[in-house]
Amino acid sequence: MNINSTFWFFDRIKEDNLCLLYNGDFSDDITNKLIELSEYNINNIDSLHKMKKKASFLMAECFQNIVRHGESLDGKVHASANEGFFLTKNWQDTYYITSGNLIENKKIENLERQLEKVNSLDKDELKLLYREVLENEEISDKGGAGLGLIEMARKSGQKLDYVFTDFDENFALFYNQIVLKSNIENVESVSDSEFKIDEAINYHQRMVSEEILVIHKGDFSQDAIFPVLRIIEDNLQKENKDAVSKKKIFHILVELLQNISRHCLKEGDKKEGIFLIGKSDDCFVVNTGNLIDNNVVDKLKENIDFINSHNGKELKDLYLSKLRERNLPNNGGAGIGLIDIARRLISPINYSIKKLDDKKSFLSINVIA
Amino acid sequence: MLTKLDLKGTRDTPEIVFDPENNRFEISGSSLPEDSNKFYDQIFDWIEVYLKAPNKNTHLICKLEYFNSSSAKMLYQLFIELEKIKDLGKEIVVSWHFESGDKLIEEKGLEYQSILDIPFEMIESN
Repeated sequence: MNINSTFWFFDRIKEDNLCLLYNGDFSDDITNKLIELSEYNINNIDSLHKMKKKASFLMAECFQNIVRHGESLDGKVHASANEGFFLTKNWQDTYYITSGNLIENKKIENLERQLEKVNSLDKDELKLLYREVLENEEISDKGGAGLGLIEMARKSGQKLDYVFTDFDENFALFYNQIVLKSNIENVESVSDSEFKIDEAINYHQRMVSEEILVIHKGDFSQDAIFPVLRIIEDNLQKENKDAVSKKKIFHILVELLQNISRHCLKEGDKKEGIFLIGKSDDCFVVNTGNLIDNNVVDKLKENIDFINSHNGKELKDLYLSKLRERNLPNNGGAGIGLIDIARRLISPINYSIKKLDDKKSFLSINVIA
Repeated sequence: MLTKLDLKGTRDTPEIVFDPENNRFEISGSSLPEDSNKFYDQIFDWIEVYLKAPNKNTHLICKLEYFNSSSAKMLYQLFIELEKIKDLGKEIVVSWHFESGDKLIEEKGLEYQSILDIPFEMIESN
């Protein structure tokens, strides 16, 4: 994962109150955690918490689609069959849910027919179809007859927005996006939506090519980052059975995110930042990004360069000497977080500072452990 | 006698039981508050009083699963405070528990052991 990816994503989602992107395995416990995190996020946005139930339902449907379609079909299991893409973002009073999953090419026609059928019906017709399917249904080959699709259309009050993209000779990717608005009961169409499904696909493609597992942009105060940390802890367990490295990555994340919370330039009372977690061979890559005041740029460079000028043994000594210092910075930190992180990396702390205007810059940090 | 310090663990602060009457001193769980001073201040206040009349033997058991770097600093200061028990002619021992294979917690324990001037035993569990 490139250090430039941090700003690439941040710049595109900087107006969002929060944005969570996930590219990976969709087992039950991970999807449950993702829903939990999204619910937590929705709850914290005043205008949105009324639609928490609806959003949770729609997310669960998306996840079930991912898993249902990804399952072994005709004995042909794709290596990444249970993998998928998931995005939730909140921008102003709008909440977006986008999912992407693999589907066999030969099933596309049937799915597309169902999608078109659902999209051709109005509210009352959908209700009728729903009842009809419920009453008559011999459940179709994938537990569906589009029951899920019908429900998604009914609950969201929208035409289903979807795109198929090529994957390989047997599979395609099926993307689908739902838009929820807090101040309107039903959004008739997503055609005027500000965030297009194509942009979400663009994000996913970048995540796949850079092997990025998770991206989170939002409030990094302690309460807000906890659910995120827990998801990642669970996910690391899936990705890597090695408990040692799991704890190491967790530690690096805690220190980096708490640093953002302590040092970032506050916009209002929010402590905002972005982080990305990716893989590279046997290593994990963590990128963080946040706004900083131009006044602290020199000091910060000096600090990181100073740490980077030490080798492993020297870093340990530096850590121990800082541990014994009695003075503590008044921001609650100990001034040893970055030193302790550096000890666990396979290469120096990589960072870049991009000046945005006269007042603020964007700090990107990229570490590999 | 000093009343016991009994703090229930939360998702980001450890469980603390300092009970002089039953001679039980234990820290367990996770410690990763963003502002560690705020949480540890109450512990230092308690220790200050305890140091006026410590038990003959004080045995602190640490069973931490995870702690952040600002907590690492607070733990160091806690150990430094407890070192004073030795100067009072009483005994202080720290047991540092870590799960087998947990390199991070083991490493942190060994570091404390190397810089502290009190008996500090490493106890590995499965």
